[in-house]
Amino acid sequence: MTTPLLTIRGLTRDFGGFRAVDGVDLDVAPGAIHSVIGPNGAGKSTLFSLITGERRPSAGSVHFAGHDLTGRAPHAVTRAGLAKAFQTTSIFPRLTVRESVCAALLARNRQSRLLRSRTGPAVRTEAETICASLGLADHIDLPGSVLSHGDQRALEVALALATAPRLLLLDEPTAGMSPFETRRVVDQITGLAKERGLTVLFSEHDLDTVFAISDEVTVMHQGRVLAHGPAAEVRADDEVMAVYLGSEPTP
Amino acid sequence: MTVLEEKIPPATERTTPARPVRRIIPLIALAAVLALLAAAPYLVTVTTILSLEQVAAFAVFAVAANLLIGQAGLVSFGQGVFFGLGAYTVTLGWEHAGLSFWEGFALAPVLGAAAAALIGLVALRARTLYFALITLAFSQLFYQLVEQNTGFTGGANGVFAPVVPAWMLSPVDGYLTLLAIAVAALAVLRWLYKSNFGLLLRASRENRARVQALGTNVYRLYLLAFTVSGAFCSLAGAMFVVYNQGSNAELFDWTTSGQAVLMSVIGGMYTFAGPVVGAFVYQFGHDWLVRFVSDWQLVLGGVLLLVVLLRPDGLAGALRLSSLRNRTRGRR
Repeated sequence: MTTPLLTIRGLTRDFGGFRAVDGVDLDVAPGAIHSVIGPNGAGKSTLFSLITGERRPSAGSVHFAGHDLTGRAPHAVTRAGLAKAFQTTSIFPRLTVRESVCAALLARNRQSRLLRSRTGPAVRTEAETICASLGLADHIDLPGSVLSHGDQRALEVALALATAPRLLLLDEPTAGMSPFETRRVVDQITGLAKERGLTVLFSEHDLDTVFAISDEVTVMHQGRVLAHGPAAEVRADDEVMAVYLGSEPTP
Repeated sequence: MTVLEEKIPPATERTTPARPVRRIIPLIALAAVLALLAAAPYLVTVTTILSLEQVAAFAVFAVAANLLIGQAGLVSFGQGVFFGLGAYTVTLGWEHAGLSFWEGFALAPVLGAAAAALIGLVALRARTLYFALITLAFSQLFYQLVEQNTGFTGGANGVFAPVVPAWMLSPVDGYLTLLAIAVAALAVLRWLYKSNFGLLLRASRENRARVQALGTNVYRLYLLAFTVSGAFCSLAGAMFVVYNQGSNAELFDWTTSGQAVLMSVIGGMYTFAGPVVGAFVYQFGHDWLVRFVSDWQLVLGGVLLLVVLLRPDGLAGALRLSSLRNRTRGRR
């Protein structure tokens, strides 16, 4: 096996007396599409926020491409090449799509480079390319707040992509979407991952989606890793399916 | 769907010829306003010229404060600290260090930036209401310090001295000098608003956590904004000395800071021109109202209430919106 891009060991987070994430080990191989599944409250979102530095772990470690990212601030994690699209859409309501993506492209720069007057043509062209690849080209001059839910989710992914990550974390990217929109976003994500050689770690409710696109699947339950392996293996694990997910995936 | 698609014009063909026209109209309007302001000494009374002197200083003050309030979303009630500091740099520099007016004037933004960097280090640790309260506390702290240290600062009486050079003592000369400085300062601030720095500030206002997640240290970004704002607020304070012929402790008071907030909100804090419009409306509204009512703040409160309830984006915001509406109407 190749050296994992992301290595998590014994990651734990307590909230008062409640242990939301309990000694999680996880390896994500470079170039893989890796899913984390599990029922509500399994600790998926908390796990992601520990990786991105939004929350500090109570114990354990996060290593990414040779850097120790354990407990580092979110901006430092992003600069290391790890970006996250939020589960609850987190965009800039009053900025246009173009401004938002430009801001995201600039956010990685050091402060000294910010005192350049207007955003240069190179940055604007890159913003347009990213918007086009996520089907946002028609809405590029609209403020984020007036976009449809599906387009806001696409913008969310566009913002994460703009930081030129090696690993993209997607926390339920298709939450609240219609099956049609889900299909569109999933296709775009897998397309982008191939095109840009991205590694993707994502959490998802919809099992059909998970097994259709994932290389590896990790099942979480009550803060612990219940099962882990290639998608086909996990899918064949009747116990996992029946006991913890309460549903059988349609073939 | 099809009906909608028909209505959307082919983007390149229709918008391109309209764009230069759209850019020229505001430029012509700006040139006209500047010409009017430059010609004001021939057009209006000395009383109005003195009001315009104050507007020049307060326009710079309000736009500088609005870099925090409207752009970064940091409601500071402490910008009066830097306004007062700028004014006192000129007067105390003259009294205690023998600095000329222009030496003090050049020193004011430097000291303003230094003080802002130090205060910002502390105040920016807090968010929203707590940030507003900490800046307010700094305002009162400076006010007390200046008022108590009578020996050095002149206490409540302030420092009134012939610090302003003789050639700009007449209202007209003073006004024209302040107008030139204000235009230059506002041009620099405009450039800052439009810069990548301004864009990231607006993004942080909209969603701080997101900008942080995108790779920017928002605390440092805000500290830079606070420092720049402090420098320009201090410059505005130094400008005010030309009108005031001195400095007094009230300049540090939170009511001075409050004026910047009011001007920004009334004029429109999401636009660059908003605080400038606000400075005009505030000053001339005040001049006009005090002739009829002694409690003019009561009317000010009413106006503020109306703006906040009906037009949260202020007067300039209302103007921009109507021109946007016309534009979309023209396209159909």
